[in-house]
Amino acid sequence: MAGAPGGLKRILPLRTAVSTSAGLASAAVNFLAAVEVAQLAAGRWAWVAIAVAGLLIVGAASNFAELSGMYPTSAAIRVWMGRALGDQVARVGSLVYASTVLLVMGADAFVLAKAFSQAVPGIPGMAVVAVLLGVISAANLRGIRIAGWIQDLNALALLATLVVFSALVLWHHPLAAPAAAAGPATGGFWQAVAVGVFIYVGFEWVTPLAEEFRDARAIPRGMLIALGVVALAFALFTAAIEALSPGAGALGQSLAPQLWVGREAMGGVGYWWMMAMTLTTAGTTFNGGLATASRFVYALARERTLPRSWARLNQHLVPGRALIGLTVLALAIAVVVVATARYQFLVNTGAAVESFMYAVSALLVIRLRRKEATRLRPYRAWGGTWAIAGFGVVYLFLGFGALTTGPSAVPWPLVVMGGLIGAALGYVRWGVPHLGAVRERTWGEPS
Amino acid sequence: MMREMEPPSNSESDLAAVLRAFCAACNQNPKLVAMNRDWERLVAILSPEGDRHWIRCQAGRLSWQPDEGGREPDLEVEAPRAILEAVFAGRMAPTDPYNRGDLLVRGQADDLLRLDIITLMVWGE
Repeated sequence: MAGAPGGLKRILPLRTAVSTSAGLASAAVNFLAAVEVAQLAAGRWAWVAIAVAGLLIVGAASNFAELSGMYPTSAAIRVWMGRALGDQVARVGSLVYASTVLLVMGADAFVLAKAFSQAVPGIPGMAVVAVLLGVISAANLRGIRIAGWIQDLNALALLATLVVFSALVLWHHPLAAPAAAAGPATGGFWQAVAVGVFIYVGFEWVTPLAEEFRDARAIPRGMLIALGVVALAFALFTAAIEALSPGAGALGQSLAPQLWVGREAMGGVGYWWMMAMTLTTAGTTFNGGLATASRFVYALARERTLPRSWARLNQHLVPGRALIGLTVLALAIAVVVVATARYQFLVNTGAAVESFMYAVSALLVIRLRRKEATRLRPYRAWGGTWAIAGFGVVYLFLGFGALTTGPSAVPWPLVVMGGLIGAALGYVRWGVPHLGAVRERTWGEPS
Repeated sequence: MMREMEPPSNSESDLAAVLRAFCAACNQNPKLVAMNRDWERLVAILSPEGDRHWIRCQAGRLSWQPDEGGREPDLEVEAPRAILEAVFAGRMAPTDPYNRGDLLVRGQADDLLRLDIITLMVWGE
């Protein structure tokens, strides 16, 4: 619909779609997720699990591409769910979905703290996290955004590092050939695929940028290329872990496996290079998370789903309260995770939320094809209704797999996710109507 | 907060009149003029019914333009005519049609936020 005539001066190229999608998927916690995959998938099959997760994710990417093409808006999932499933469901879904940003930030904080504690034992890792979060939050409050190209550069540097370092490790420590007819334990393998989904989490957060691309095909193409690059980098990294520590035995106990891989690849230089990559990757996760989430909170407050004071802007036109609130929340999650070392439940909860959201994307495509059959679709998701529904069911199973995976007898991911959905449902059911009372007044009339 | 709108002339469409009044409202708001001092943009306002209008922001002041003057726009706002009229006349918050997918914007995210803030400052909560 929009943008038929003329051109726009400020538009983004395909390269930015690739680097943004890959960058959003490349969190520091992916290192630990890769180790978890290696443990679940019986070592040498881990890279296969990551590749299978990647192939499944391509189906979800195809769904997101169709939806984004129909409605290229930064409100993305909020709009698509609203049109297909109604406003209330869209509000609950958006709130739960947005919470994964905080989960990823908390998990990245943990990775950074542990890596720093290992590299520089004299300085508490949590202090580094607090300082980094504070600096990034303060910069955002002043309207200073880390330039997109810096984030993009960091993502590409990280993925290139993983490919090169992992290849060097595999060169020096070749993977043992699998025994004839040996395969992974089926249950563990599919749990590994479920956790493997987490490695790609965030690739679809490029869709809210759809308004900034002139070519509607940039988003689908960018997502697919990014998924391929991320799959290659982390499959190699997982294979390197397996080569160094079969079954992720010894490495499974490490909370900074990337430092080990860095040392094995290039000695001291590799170790400190990997430490620097961990720091900058966590930093870009914090920055991207705060910038995205604060804007999301602003939008929700503007529509009265959240208190309108959260939409208040400071003199730099930044939603300051939202930003500070999110920083405090992220810091609190980080403190709890670092203190308890229970990062795995964040990984699994994040993987579950995303898997369910991918299942929802299948439902949205099917519903909107029926409800809005004549709407222009610059890109159509692969397959007919049954194929898309089939992928949706697989994502559902993967989501449940992630929820029930973990060493604890208590399925904490299930508890956390149930709590998130319950809180969002209750809030939208009972909290939002009170805020909505303000909205009933005719907008624009003198107050 | 602006409440006085210029009466539309009989020779122009309702949407053009609404946009002219919107520009006038913005220009009467000193905070907005100060805020937009360095924001030079050309905004295209489009509708599926075939409306084509342009609003130019220069030196903090907004002006309605009947054509783009040979320039490429920085931002495009597209929605059915009724929604555009309601939003720019202050009868509807832009967030509502935006979140329903009825109002689409194309351009830089920061410009999009600025446009939202402008309507908020002109029409209030």
